[in-house]
Amino acid sequence: MRQPSALFGFTTLRRLASPPRRKQFERLLWHCLALSVAVLFAAPLVWLIIASLQPIGWPPPRTLVWFPHGVAWSNYVEIFRVAPLGLQIGNSLFVSAAGMLITLLTASWAGFAMSQLPPPSRGWLVGLALLLLLIPSGAVWMPRYVLFSSMGLIDTYAALVAPALFGTRSLLALMYYWSFRRVSPELYESASLDGAGLWTVWRRIALPLARPTTLAVAVLAFSHYWSDFVDPLLFLKSTQRFTIAVGLRMLQQMDATNWPLLMAAVTVMIAPVLALYLLLQVVLNKDMNFLRRVIHPFNK
Amino acid sequence: MIRVAVMLGVILLLSSACMPLELSFTPSSEQVSIVFLISGDPADEEAYRALVEQFMAEVPAVRVELLNIPGQGDFRRRLTADFAAGTPPDVFLINYRRYGPLIARNAIAPIDGYLAQSAVLRREDFYPQALEAFTWRGELMCMPQNMSSPVIYYNKDLFDAAGLPYPANDWRWEDFVTTAQALTRDWDGDGTIDQYGFGVEATLVRAAPFIWMNGGEIVDDPTMPTTLTLSAPASREALAWFVDLQNSHRVVPNAVAEAAESSLSRFLNGRLAMLMESRRVVPEFRRIEAFDWDVAPLPLGKVPASILHSDAFCIAAASLHREAAWQFVEFANTRAGQSILARSGRTIPSRIDLAADPTVLDPQAKPHNTRIFLDAVPTLRTFPALATWADIESAVDAELKQAFYGQISLDDAIAAATARSADFFSQRE
Amino acid sequence: MTALKRSGVTSASSHLVDPRFLRHVQLWLMAAPFLFGALLLVVLPAALSFALAFMRYDVLAPPTWRGVENFVVIFRRDVFWIALRNTLVFAFSAAPLQVFGALLVALLLHPERRGVRLYRAVVYLTNILPDVAYALIWLWLLNPLYGPINLTLSWLGLPTPAWLVDSRTALASLVIVAAVRVGEGMLLLIAARRTVPDSYYDAARIDGADRLRIFWHITLPLLVPWLLLLLIRDLVMAIHSSLTPVLLMTGGGPGYATTLLPFLIYEEAFTHLRLGEAAAMMGVIFALIGPLIGLAGWLTHRWWGDHAG
Repeated sequence: MRQPSALFGFTTLRRLASPPRRKQFERLLWHCLALSVAVLFAAPLVWLIIASLQPIGWPPPRTLVWFPHGVAWSNYVEIFRVAPLGLQIGNSLFVSAAGMLITLLTASWAGFAMSQLPPPSRGWLVGLALLLLLIPSGAVWMPRYVLFSSMGLIDTYAALVAPALFGTRSLLALMYYWSFRRVSPELYESASLDGAGLWTVWRRIALPLARPTTLAVAVLAFSHYWSDFVDPLLFLKSTQRFTIAVGLRMLQQMDATNWPLLMAAVTVMIAPVLALYLLLQVVLNKDMNFLRRVIHPFNK
Repeated sequence: MIRVAVMLGVILLLSSACMPLELSFTPSSEQVSIVFLISGDPADEEAYRALVEQFMAEVPAVRVELLNIPGQGDFRRRLTADFAAGTPPDVFLINYRRYGPLIARNAIAPIDGYLAQSAVLRREDFYPQALEAFTWRGELMCMPQNMSSPVIYYNKDLFDAAGLPYPANDWRWEDFVTTAQALTRDWDGDGTIDQYGFGVEATLVRAAPFIWMNGGEIVDDPTMPTTLTLSAPASREALAWFVDLQNSHRVVPNAVAEAAESSLSRFLNGRLAMLMESRRVVPEFRRIEAFDWDVAPLPLGKVPASILHSDAFCIAAASLHREAAWQFVEFANTRAGQSILARSGRTIPSRIDLAADPTVLDPQAKPHNTRIFLDAVPTLRTFPALATWADIESAVDAELKQAFYGQISLDDAIAAATARSADFFSQRE
Repeated sequence: MTALKRSGVTSASSHLVDPRFLRHVQLWLMAAPFLFGALLLVVLPAALSFALAFMRYDVLAPPTWRGVENFVVIFRRDVFWIALRNTLVFAFSAAPLQVFGALLVALLLHPERRGVRLYRAVVYLTNILPDVAYALIWLWLLNPLYGPINLTLSWLGLPTPAWLVDSRTALASLVIVAAVRVGEGMLLLIAARRTVPDSYYDAARIDGADRLRIFWHITLPLLVPWLLLLLIRDLVMAIHSSLTPVLLMTGGGPGYATTLLPFLIYEEAFTHLRLGEAAAMMGVIFALIGPLIGLAGWLTHRWWGDHAG
């Protein structure tokens, strides 16, 4: 006995419509729903751009008219005049690049070690990584500050890049672990038998097979350091070393309600992150099974 | 490819640790380098930079690095970070209301001795009120650089358009309210006020002059305070008048309007007729071209009174170059040094001899009515000197702000503020 | 294969150093930066924080022992209790909403249809935005007079709350801001959903079950472990990642409506130089979160211990 579908209530329609037509209709409905959800999530960015192009000095529009006083592209020039955004972007680039490169090394090493160690040790290492997943860095910034200041690392980039030592986020090491594990052990075995040392196996066999993971880790690590706010806020004190995250905060402190300038600066800050994300999407989409691979170990 | 990445990574790791080394000019063995920390907007920074350049030209043996952290909160936190790292700035400029915690922890090297032995500076040269504000247990801790008080900045064009006379130097509270009401307009009749008559921060610092002017007190004993006395009739009356400016007269932007556009921003864009602020906005206001402006004293109450705003140069006790730091502080407070800052409009100098000087009372430079800053000097009062005063102020501000925007009643606000600050009065360090 | 292994063992015994042992050491060496980093940057600070909670430390003078006095002092301040309450309300509102939202979106976007990857990518956008930028964007969106959200609401004739400016809606605004970040959860749940074999669904359809029953009896039960894990993780993250939004959007106000514990800790440590008390507050947070993390760890071990290890 067919039960009426509570979700859509299209019982009648179902009985009347032929299966292929019904499928088409459902597909259309699905697309509409998915599209509206996507529009909802994309809307903030659209509003961001609109707000950044309002001319300064006028109160912002009270109606939904987009540009009642014209489009002020000059805002994007003005922000560089008002604050040392260029310098801050440069600093952020340096920190993010350094963090990313070091992370690629340490995360892949840790992931490789996890994949090659025999069960008791492997369990400990992976368990540690999983535990770290649940401890956000926000839980330790205060004592970390005390630690760094006693080590004399305050106002150095080393303090910002330090998390790269353990791969920035243990998730990245785990991603490598899952990726390396997918490779059949015979491949590693035969390489070792051929006389290849561990490092060679890591370099010549494991890494090349994990290229999508490397790309994902690189993008995630770079974005992490680019977006990092609390660490530079606490650990940097010279204005010429500020990264762009702190720079945005300073801009807000200087003129908290200058919305066009603030939004323009925000746009400039997120542009690289968005670009990298787009790049990642494009590249990963060529590899359709990426998600499935990452989750493979959880399959019963 | 991997090899390149490894090398790059190692290089970057090493260089990131080495970054803090001074890449620029390395001082020679005779030259001393000191750090001078301030908090101000770009116009302030320019003025202090001019001071620093002049000093370095006259005393080449000392090099001064100027650091600016805009935003008071971040400045205080950065100062803390500096002290925590054991590398505090050698000299920093701080408000007397904020230096309590540092004094209590012996973080500041007293100026007293240096001033006594100075060949160019004498105590008598400076306003006693300013010196008093930075004297702790009989010893002068920091060298006051300026002294001013809050005034009413007003937009002359808006007054002209409304056909109102400019504020007189002896106008009273009632005159002020009527003027503000006349200047609060909804031009297009859409229910939103387009032009407000008055803008002010709902903080204790701004309300204090009115409390004192009404004959009220903020604490029970200014020298040994144990509790707030905001509920006393005279104090409460003044606070009620202050809060009513927004709550019932609606001449001040409400919470929503303030969040949308700050009063300062409105004034700069010609949409606010009067703004209560300290001297610090003058350099920025001097850049206004769209309209003419001037300053008026705070409207008079029963008793003449106002609050002292003063910043001073402090030398960190942990500084490795105290002598050089004093040299800079000394220079900054000579006639020449204080004139540089005065010329920018940013300060009213703490030197008495400069008070009569054209650099301060320059009729060509705005605000034309500058003399009111000096006229107010005899009436200036200060907040009690407590290590925990910043905590007490924030407790009061949090409640006052809510009462100001009509979110809670004034009595509830006063009660909550008194209760929350009670602990801090008893915490003597 | 086993024969090869056996021969490897016999040949090893004739070497000075067991090559398997050497390999073992090398592997641990590879993992050394990871371990060292975790020790230095997570374990050590956690221990330090624990110690500091019992000391008086104002960064200008060496720390002195204070016993439990820090806790006494903070428990006496009513702002601490306000912050604690706010933090719990915030976390227990934002996390379930976030997980629920992630579930809905994941169920919608899990089919591998054309264009689905684009939709997923757009939903994930809110997660990749830097915290600072995300907070400032929302500060603009929620602006009561000029923000797009209120403009849209008034255009639709709906009431326009004052969001961050009104103490009654301020915390709720922050909850919304946090809950909208469903991207990560969505990806996790999609992947989890994929682990359910299609055969289950085929069998159910043959038996004549409709969508709702399929969801209730097959999908949901199998997703429960993931949902639970996600919930715990989001609870922990919500608490700690609240610092940036509060700092940038409200500064703890209006009144103390959005004062959360991480923000209070920041203020105590850096504005008032009371690190001992700040550490004590961190101890309180950890006492709350510790059990949650333990629970998550136990769950992970129980469900996937043999598989992930």
